[in-house]
Order: sequence, then C-alpha cells, then structure tokens
Amino acid sequence: MRVLITGIQILLPFLYFCTIWAYARSFFSSIRIAGTLKTPLLISIIVVHAFYIILRTFVFGHPPITSIFEILTLIAFTITLVYGYIEFKTANSSTGYFILILPFFFQVVSSLFIKEGSEIPTMLQSTLLGFHVTSALLGYAAITISAVYGFLYLMLYHDIKSSQFGLIYKRLPNLEVLERMSFTATIFGFLLLTVAIIVGLVWLPRVLGVIPYTDPKLFGTMAIWLIYAVGLTAKKVVGWQGKRIIVLSMFGFVIAMFSMTIINMFFSGFHRFY
Amino acid sequence: MNIHCLGISHHTAAIEIREKLWFSLGEIPPFLSSLKAKYMSEAVLVSTCNRTELYYIPRENSLNGTPVWKMLAQAKGAPQEVGEQHFYLKSSADAVEHLFRVASGIDSMVLGDVQILSQMKDAFSSAQEQHCTGTITNRLFHTAFHVGKRARTETEIGEGAVSISYAATELASKIFEDLSKRTALLIGAGDTGKLTAKHLAGRNLGQLLITNRTRSRAEELVAQLGGKVVDFERFPAELPSVDIVISSVEAPKYILTAGDLHLVMKQRGNRPLFLIDIGVPRNIDPAANRIGNVFLHDIDALNQIVDQNLAHRKEEIPKIEQIIREETGEFSAWVGGLEINPTIQQLRDHFELIRQEEVGKHLHHFTADKREEVELLTKRIVNKLLHTPMVTLKSTDEPAGTEDTRAKLSMLRHLFGLDKKSRP
Repeated sequence: MRVLITGIQILLPFLYFCTIWAYARSFFSSIRIAGTLKTPLLISIIVVHAFYIILRTFVFGHPPITSIFEILTLIAFTITLVYGYIEFKTANSSTGYFILILPFFFQVVSSLFIKEGSEIPTMLQSTLLGFHVTSALLGYAAITISAVYGFLYLMLYHDIKSSQFGLIYKRLPNLEVLERMSFTATIFGFLLLTVAIIVGLVWLPRVLGVIPYTDPKLFGTMAIWLIYAVGLTAKKVVGWQGKRIIVLSMFGFVIAMFSMTIINMFFSGFHRFY
Repeated sequence: MNIHCLGISHHTAAIEIREKLWFSLGEIPPFLSSLKAKYMSEAVLVSTCNRTELYYIPRENSLNGTPVWKMLAQAKGAPQEVGEQHFYLKSSADAVEHLFRVASGIDSMVLGDVQILSQMKDAFSSAQEQHCTGTITNRLFHTAFHVGKRARTETEIGEGAVSISYAATELASKIFEDLSKRTALLIGAGDTGKLTAKHLAGRNLGQLLITNRTRSRAEELVAQLGGKVVDFERFPAELPSVDIVISSVEAPKYILTAGDLHLVMKQRGNRPLFLIDIGVPRNIDPAANRIGNVFLHDIDALNQIVDQNLAHRKEEIPKIEQIIREETGEFSAWVGGLEINPTIQQLRDHFELIRQEEVGKHLHHFTADKREEVELLTKRIVNKLLHTPMVTLKSTDEPAGTEDTRAKLSMLRHLFGLDKKSRP
C-alpha cells in the first residue's frame, strides 16, 4: 500500500503538469488535441487525487491534515475539485490554466516534502477538528479560485477599456461570465468559511478544552468573513456589479492570504500545531 | 482526370462584369440542362455575388473548340464588353484544388467567408435535381464540403469579426453574457449603425430602440429591424435602462458628454454600459471611457479588431493549403482508380481468354488426372506474367489521374488491343 501511495505521490505532479499543459496549449495556441484532452485529464486528476487522499487516510489512520505538506495536497485537491465543478456548471473550460497552475505548485511542494506516517499530535485526532480544517481549506480554495477569476475579470476589463484585443480578449469568456464564476466561488468560500468558524468557535473548545478566543488567526478569519459578508450584501442588496465587486472580492483574498501565511507563521499560537 | 472549371470572380473581373454573369437559382436549372444535353456529361454551376463558376466534364469531342465562356455569356445575354480575358479555365487537379480553395473560404473576397459553403451546397443540390451530376462531380462536391468543414473545425479561418458591424457585436458579447436580456439604442440611421443593430438583433437582442432627427427614417428602420422609435429629443431619458448605445449621427459637438454619462451611470446603479461611437466627428466624449463600467469604442478601435482578425485569418492559410493538398491527393487517387481499375480488369479478362482458348485446344493431350494440374499451372503462369505490370500500375509514384498516367494506360490498351471489340 505504501508503495502505491509513493507511486501516486510521484505521479500526481506529472498528471497536473500534463493537464495544465493541455489547458495552456488550448488557451494560447488553440491546439485541437490539447482542447480534446484537457477535460478528460482534469477528471483523471480528480479521481487519482481523491483516491490518493482516501488511501492515505486509511493507511495512516488520519486525514492528511497533520503537516503543512499534507494540507498542501488537500488544498491542491480542493482547488481542482472546485474548479472542476465550476467548469462543469458554466460549460466553459478556457480559464483552467489560470486556476490549475496553483494546485500544480502546491502538489509539487507536497510530493517533494511529504512524510509518511509521522507522529500525530493528540489534538489532531478529533473528528470535529478534521471537519473544521477541511471546511476551512475548502473555503480558502474557493476564495482563491474566486480571486483568480477576479484577476482574469480585471485583465479583460482593462483590455476592453484600453482597446487591446489580444489573447485575453479573444480567449476568455465574457465579463459577465467571469463575474459569475468569481461570484459562484465566493458563495462556496463564504459558506464553507462560515462552517469552519462556527465549528472552530462553538464546538472545538468543548472537545479540546482550549478556548482560542484570543488567537490572532481568529481575528484574521473574522475580518475575511466580514469583507465577504459586506461584498455579498452589496451585490445582492445594493446591486453592486462589475469591477467594484470584483475589487472587493480580491481585497478579501489578499487578507485571506495574509491570514494563512503571515499570521500563521509569526503570530498565531493556537493554529501552529504543525 | 477530365474535370474543368471555367469561372469569373473578383480576382478577374469588376463587379460591373460579374453582375452580368450572375445566375439566379431559377436560371441555373435550364442552363445546366441545355449544357448536359449537348456538351457535358456532368456539370455544376456555382453563382454568388463574387463568382460564377462552372465545373464540368465534357462529352468526348462534343465541344469541338466551342469556348465554354461564350456559352455562359450567351446564356446571360451579356454584352460585348464581357470577354475571354475575364474568365479563367482550370483543368484536372488544378480545377479540383480551386474548388477546395473556394469551399474553404481562402479564395473569397472576405477571407474565410462562411456563406460560400452553403451557397455551394445550394448550387450542387440544384444540379443534382436536374440530374446533371454524376459519379465524379458527386464525389468532388462532397469532398469540397468536407474540406470546407475541416477548414472551419481544424483552423481558425472563420474566427473573429472582419467587418465593423460584426466587430461591434463581438465586443458587446465580450461584455454581456446574454444579449436577450439587453436593450440597445441606435442613434442615427447610417449604414454601419444599421448593420450593427441588425447583427445585434440577429444575436437575439432583448429590445431595440431607434432614434433619429428625422423621425420617419427611424420609423423606416423599425419597420425593417423591429423595435421601437424614440423621439430624438427624448433619447437621453432612455439611457438608464439601455445597455448598448450605437451612435452614428452627424453632429458638430458631442451628443453625450462625460458629465451626462456620469449621471446616467448613477441612475443605472453602475451597471455596465457599452457605447459604440461610429460617428465622424465623434458623437460621444472620449473622456467617458474613464468612468467605471463604461466601455466606449470608436471606429478606430473597431477597425483595429477587424485588422487583427484578418491578419489572424491570413496566418491560417498554410494550414488550409495543407488540408487541400491532402484532399486533392486523395481525390486524384480515387479518380485514378476509376481509370486504372477497368483497364486492369480488361487485361485480366484478355489474358484469361487466351489461356482458356489455348488450354482448350490442347487439354485432350493430357490424361484426366493431369488436366486439373494443367489448369492450375497455366493460371499460375498468367498471374505471374500480369503481377508486375498490375502492381506497377496501382502503385505508381505519379499522382493518379495525371496526363502521364493516362498516357501509360493508353499505351497499355493500345499494345494489348483492349479498345478493340474482339481480340485479333
């Protein structure tokens, strides 16, 4: 079984590479074979990666959330999965390259440094914690995708405004579709982050006996949640559209990245368990 | 390959000459039938606004030097100024290749024109109904349709707008997902504006409003394109509910200033607004493009899209020429097969007849148990004698259907007397 896990660990970066190659060739050079192959490759990655995560969970007896490199493979998988859902829902596969490049890098780093069956801290053995971490990661994956679509929106917006009719103009879907893709991902992200926060704040202290109310990460996460809550209200209630709502969504993403990296590394005690 | 193409097109004649030789769908059937009755075994006439081309296979010795272009000119009662210099005549593989170039859109006046293929299909159906097509033209035109399809699916020859009005429509669909939920306002009744509104309407536009200083012209346009007339003085009041504005009026100063549009954007809750200014001098203050969610484009921007798309289509030509080479090669091989196979069969029959005659004469010299062996032995000898020439004929390096192959076949038929009714 461990040989199989190692095999998939090596295989996954190659599969990701082939997939982003197909998406890139299809976007930048309209190569027909790349266009035909890209979606089957994406499906195969989702299947292989899901199998890899399930296999690891059974063989090592815990979900892959006990080290940063385990979490990276989980993030890679969730981004790919959420992107797969968006591609299926919008029937538009032209933006895959810009999204899948992220899980490719995450998976390369994970495959290079991930260790097998390291010792698991006691606190990570809680099922609720697994639920909290998984929903938080899925939420971050969704807002990452939302930000990438936001970025693509801004590029196309700029190109149309300044009459630059190059590849971005030719190949990307229209502004409204990009806005909708970004919005769909934001809704996902917001709901999942809400779940993660509720589990984190209400149930985890009961299970773990630790009250993390002073954790700086908590403030970061609440700030992210508030920005998205304001954005969603502005869109749904006030009727904000276009560039303004996209900029707000990207601001939320920047704060989320700040929370994930800087706060985690330097300030957070509670969230530094690996 | 005895296929010919006689034609006149934008490459060889001006519109004044081409229009004299344009055949309507009603004129084609009687003309083709008369050609078929006298001169041609198969014929298809393709006539569009940019070309009139006759693809035909002449009956042997039927034309006797009669120029086919004169038949076309006479059929249309064309005047003296239509002359031989306006026509081109292509034969064999050149005619086939030319048809494939036409089908793929690379011979069109507007490079990559998508209409030509359906016009060719109509022309072919018309010829078929008159029983003017045959084995060769059937295959030729179906291959041409296949080439056209390959050109459109395997290359980007038909991609991107190549006219101002299409470029404006393409831009609109880069901003809005679903035009059926959008309203467009056409200001002025100029040709380009009208065409743009027509293309937008063709993309299932939700509603079209038309305004013009002379109300009657706006009403005429509404009668043609559908929609609703708006009084010229009142059009600014419609802007908050309009998503696309096409402006092409002659006005000494801007009819919409940046200040006007600031206000409009507030009233419309900052929803995206696409403005196409094709007026010269410009109708809309260029500073309006600095307002968020306002997309203002003038004639230069639209021309830029057209030029880029045309340049891109040109880059696709080598890919299409490769497709044409492949398909012409395959078609020529098929036609070659049509010419070679009957000769091979006749040669086999000829040898078999000799064998049977000679064996028949001498078979009584052999005992009954040896006769079967004699049959087998003589058959084997004949097969071995024929093997090399047959293989050489079938696998000749020259493209089948060429003059050279035909000369070889002719020599073979002459040497063995295959064209004579009975063996000497």
